Amino acid sequence: MNFRILFLFSLVFLASCSQPEKKTIPVIGFLDLLQDETLEQAKTGFFDALKAEGFDENKKNIEVIYRNAQGDQPALIQSCDYILSKNPDLIATNPTLSTITAIQKSKTVPVFMMVSPRPDLAGLTDKNGKAPGNLFGVYETLDYIDTSIALIRKIFPSAKKIGTIYNQSEPQSVDALNEITNECASLGFDLIAMPVNSSSETQLVVQSLLNKKIDAFFALPDNVVFASMEIIVNSCDKQNVPVFTSEEGLVKRGALAAFGADMYQWGYQSGKQAALFLQNKTVDGLFPEIVKYRRKVYNPEKAAIYHVTFDSSFVSVKK
Amino acid sequence: MNFYLTAVLLGLGFSAMGMGIFISMRIFNIPDITTDGSFTLGGAVTAIMLTNDQPLLIVLPCVFIAGATAGAITAFIHTRLKVNALLSGILVMTALYSVNLAIMGRSNIPLINTFSIFNTTSGSEIQSQLIVLTLFTGIIFILLSWLLKTDFGLAMRATGNNETMIRSMGVNTSLMKITGLALANGLTAISGFLIVQIQGFSDIGMGIGIVILGLGSVMIGEITMKVFRINNIALHLLGVIAGTIIFRLILAFALSTGIDALYLKLVVSLFVLLIVSIPNLKRSE
Repeated sequence: MNFRILFLFSLVFLASCSQPEKKTIPVIGFLDLLQDETLEQAKTGFFDALKAEGFDENKKNIEVIYRNAQGDQPALIQSCDYILSKNPDLIATNPTLSTITAIQKSKTVPVFMMVSPRPDLAGLTDKNGKAPGNLFGVYETLDYIDTSIALIRKIFPSAKKIGTIYNQSEPQSVDALNEITNECASLGFDLIAMPVNSSSETQLVVQSLLNKKIDAFFALPDNVVFASMEIIVNSCDKQNVPVFTSEEGLVKRGALAAFGADMYQWGYQSGKQAALFLQNKTVDGLFPEIVKYRRKVYNPEKAAIYHVTFDSSFVSVKK
Repeated sequence: MNFYLTAVLLGLGFSAMGMGIFISMRIFNIPDITTDGSFTLGGAVTAIMLTNDQPLLIVLPCVFIAGATAGAITAFIHTRLKVNALLSGILVMTALYSVNLAIMGRSNIPLINTFSIFNTTSGSEIQSQLIVLTLFTGIIFILLSWLLKTDFGLAMRATGNNETMIRSMGVNTSLMKITGLALANGLTAISGFLIVQIQGFSDIGMGIGIVILGLGSVMIGEITMKVFRINNIALHLLGVIAGTIIFRLILAFALSTGIDALYLKLVVSLFVLLIVSIPNLKRSE
């Protein structure tokens, strides 16, 4: 029996033995909430930007601590604690919930966010509307939604009914829905919006939207849509309903057209800022900035299916 | 080292929920899925009241009552409407998702510059967390182990052991189950109350899968108690607290090994398996 007790305790003891090494090169923490193809693009963009500025893990001039909570919130807290225990020079966060976690866990380490909304939309500003002092990186507002909805009017002038799904568990998704509702009202669209809470419900909800004879589907970019884009496109294509969205990656995955940010560029822009911080070793002159890179894109394969042509202001994207 | 301390603190935060699961699972033999919902419910009530500057002395009872109500509803559906216990829990948990969204008004509330229970002591953040969480868990532990030894507690435990027998002795077993599950979910909500203040935000998804974590912790706690060959209800509760902490430490260890993020959950499972199988390996020789 003593052996067993000893074993249990030695496990716990072993676990607590690792000491932080002395650091000579900048340590970069990257806090990811879940495994997702679209979020992955932002992460790739972030590290590509660092590479472009000469900060490369393979060149051993930075140390990267990447932790992914696999969608589990207690694990997210602990991942953040782990990164902080290694005295990082900065933390990159992707998406919103990672940003909130890092901001609440550290008031000093600079946080470079991506795929996150403007600080006030995330509820991160104080009573005077000030964002936390250590929050940097790149955010998005909701203005892009208006233009995306206007696209539908331009390409399908006869469209009347628009269907959409939104994720009740994401603040930015609900905020986006409010924006869509207003925009649809002003453009004279009938909007049918249905809530989903996880990607397993998507197919059923999209099917019930299609049964209501919608003319177009608007996929607002939230985590549920990111996770289940293929099933949305599949179901809509079968009923000849075009899918519009506001994120470039989703067009590559089968939507017809979009106006909006590109996740890769979003991460890239945040990475640029992080590189600037690493070069100058100061956060002076840095502040959270709005995503710069938005453009109109379309998917040529889908354009052929729906017999629509796009003018030269649109860029064709393929897989 | 601080990192493992934060894992222990998180474990202490979850231990109230562990004790709640111990009551529903070990005393009443009901795997109470309501936990997923009542944990978030506790968090939601805490977040909305704290951001509206309510004092903790009012927040805490409200959180407990909210959780207890959820538990009582589950038990009522199970005992009076004769719905399978597992399904009752699933129904209430699912309904609570909407309730929690309605309470919070949005799906995520960060606590910015609000008063928290960790502001009540002086010292660094981690010190005050350690003091407050230890005190909190200690008080719950003492109250609960006292309660389970009173006549009422014994009747509650007997209800789980042999319902027919205890009913023949004139105890209202339905009422026992309702109080028991109310107590269990009240404790779970208190965990939500603590965790929200540790992490600094409440989120609609914070309770997802939490019942699995609680069940796991209860089992791990039992195994550790088995090692010591202990059969005392208070020490069982202590085992549950140890279980929740060990669970957090295992995840902490898995995170610090730098394993590929893809295999994080696999590694955690393997470590838990390793720990729970040690005592039995020896026994079968």
